[in-house]
Amino acid sequence: MATPTGKGTIVAAELTKVYNGKVRAVDGVSFEVAQGEVYGFLGPNGAGKTTTVAVLTAGLSATSGQATVDGIDVLRHPEDVKRRIGIVFQEMTSDGDLTGRENLELAAALYGVPRSEVASRVNGLLERMQVADAADRLAKTYSGGMRRRLELAVGTVHSPGVLFLDEPTLGLDPQGRAGFWKYVQELRREHGMTVFVTTHYLEEADGMCDRIAIIDHGRIVASGTPAELKDRLGGDIVTVRPLAAGPDLTPLLKAVPGVLTVTAQDGSYRVKCPNGEGLVPKLVEACARSNVSLAGVSLKRPSLDEVFLEFTGREFREDEGFSATDRAVMLGRVQNQLGGRR
Amino acid sequence: MIREVGALTRRELKRLARNPQAIVTSLLLPILYLLLFGQAFNLGAAVSPSVLKELVRGAPTYFSYFAAGMAGFVAVTATLFLGANVIFDRLFGVLKRTSSTPAGATAIFGSRLLAGILQPVGLAFLVLGLAVGLGKAGLSGLTVTAPVSFVGAGEVVLAIVILSVMFASLFLAIGFTIEQPQSYFAVVNAINLPVLLTSAALFPWGLMPVWFRNVASFNPITLAVNVIRENLFAGATAYYPYDASVYLLGLAAWAAAIIVVAIVLARRALAPRS
Ligand SMILES: Nc1ncnc2c1ncn2[C@@H]1O[C@H](COP(=O)(O)OP(=O)(O)OP(=O)(O)O)[C@@H](O)[C@H]1O
Ligand SMILES: [Mg+2]
Repeated sequence: MATPTGKGTIVAAELTKVYNGKVRAVDGVSFEVAQGEVYGFLGPNGAGKTTTVAVLTAGLSATSGQATVDGIDVLRHPEDVKRRIGIVFQEMTSDGDLTGRENLELAAALYGVPRSEVASRVNGLLERMQVADAADRLAKTYSGGMRRRLELAVGTVHSPGVLFLDEPTLGLDPQGRAGFWKYVQELRREHGMTVFVTTHYLEEADGMCDRIAIIDHGRIVASGTPAELKDRLGGDIVTVRPLAAGPDLTPLLKAVPGVLTVTAQDGSYRVKCPNGEGLVPKLVEACARSNVSLAGVSLKRPSLDEVFLEFTGREFREDEGFSATDRAVMLGRVQNQLGGRR
Repeated sequence: MIREVGALTRRELKRLARNPQAIVTSLLLPILYLLLFGQAFNLGAAVSPSVLKELVRGAPTYFSYFAAGMAGFVAVTATLFLGANVIFDRLFGVLKRTSSTPAGATAIFGSRLLAGILQPVGLAFLVLGLAVGLGKAGLSGLTVTAPVSFVGAGEVVLAIVILSVMFASLFLAIGFTIEQPQSYFAVVNAINLPVLLTSAALFPWGLMPVWFRNVASFNPITLAVNVIRENLFAGATAYYPYDASVYLLGLAAWAAAIIVVAIVLARRALAPRS
């Protein structure tokens, strides 16, 4: 594995961004991403995810702190960094007045993809992102999901060494999401691409990221592998429901190896544990041994709300004012309406 | 750099071809002037032919003098949408996409400039052709009295090209600097008419007070229109203190200065935001 300042890495040190001297959007964020790693930034609306991406991709200057991408100082050599990275923005940035194919050809030319490879790469990507049928239609006539998939293709047409994804699968159907992640994983396998991804979705972060940082109010409040984070959360919740009300089962359940806490609630028991799936048979077995008949056992994995409750002490909140996602969606609508006239 | 400029220029041209309304909009004002103002302002009916020749610097009719002026004014009306395109591209994320790539600010500006002068140059000649056609249709029209020469035609083309480059750069610079479409159109309207009305495009030179002539002499539209008039009308050179090449140089100086400012502003606009 490369050194933290070397090729394919992303390093942020005490990165801070204050908008207009007032809004502290990113507040002393530090992290390191190794080459080939998929690193997830998980946080609610307004947490500072997009701002962090913008600083790392040389779209925004930092107020203080340092950032290095692919071994290059972003704040000092923004142009060099742009050459080495790919970006998929949270909002639409493809050109509605060009066809899907033309959008990709333009991006390929701007990133210096060898001319002889452009056609095959563009065709491959159109196919891959399932927009081949609409390849020669103006992008402004695409559906929201198609436009999003085009966006993903445009950001990756040059097979960058470091890829930044800002809520890349926003508005995609499950097949679209799965297809996109499959493609990202392939790029990563083929040439060790590093991926920095922001998301709202814990499931996505869980399945796709090697490591995750939870960001809130511009600060990283927790980080680690998905498994580590879930463990720290107390993990899964298994609810055990006895057939009939009887003696308190808390001591019995608590004695099962792997159980962290047991809370009695409305005649059933909430059992917190790191690995619920493995625990269910053991709990059933323990009950059977003590001749306790069960009406049912259910397993719940930790939800995003619980993650936030744990690490931020607050419920997963609906943000004050408009989020960037809301803005992107609204702008998309305006764009579509104007698109007809433009 | 060359590949980037080529790819971006192609994008601008495609967009122009797919939105031909811009061409109609650019022609609207000049054509209104040709059909209404030019027809109504019948100076020849008021003064003797010899006096008229003095007033319009050797042109055969006022309309001929004025039609050359309109060919210059098209450089304004056919470039002012360029800045609006920058603003809409910023609003719709296209500029964000482009400036996130290795394409530098100079390439982004340069491609828009290259693609942006095609239309004004084409339309300037269309306006001249139309003005000739009006004459053939029995209205006041443009009469070219000078023999067509290779150098003369070259000078006319060059004047129109440089004037277009200048205004395209100006409006692009404003588009890169201003973020709100409303403010952009306010600024453009504040430039549009004053620059026309302080030029020699409309007014007979001989009727202008001296102070106005002094102002108009430096107006870039005047400089370009001088070149056109000196080349279209036989004997007109006698009415101009300088050769057309001098006016071309002055025009080039304007264009160079504005290009420099525009590149600085484009770089600033496309640099990492603070
Ligand atoms: N240009 C700006 N000027 C002032 N404040 C801004 C600007 N852009 C973002 N902010 C503020 O900075 C904070 C972080 O915004 P950011 O877009 O980084 O959040 P995010 O985590 O990406 O949110 P979302 O999930 O909604 O995309 C928010 O409070 C936002 O209102
Ligand atoms: Mg965001």
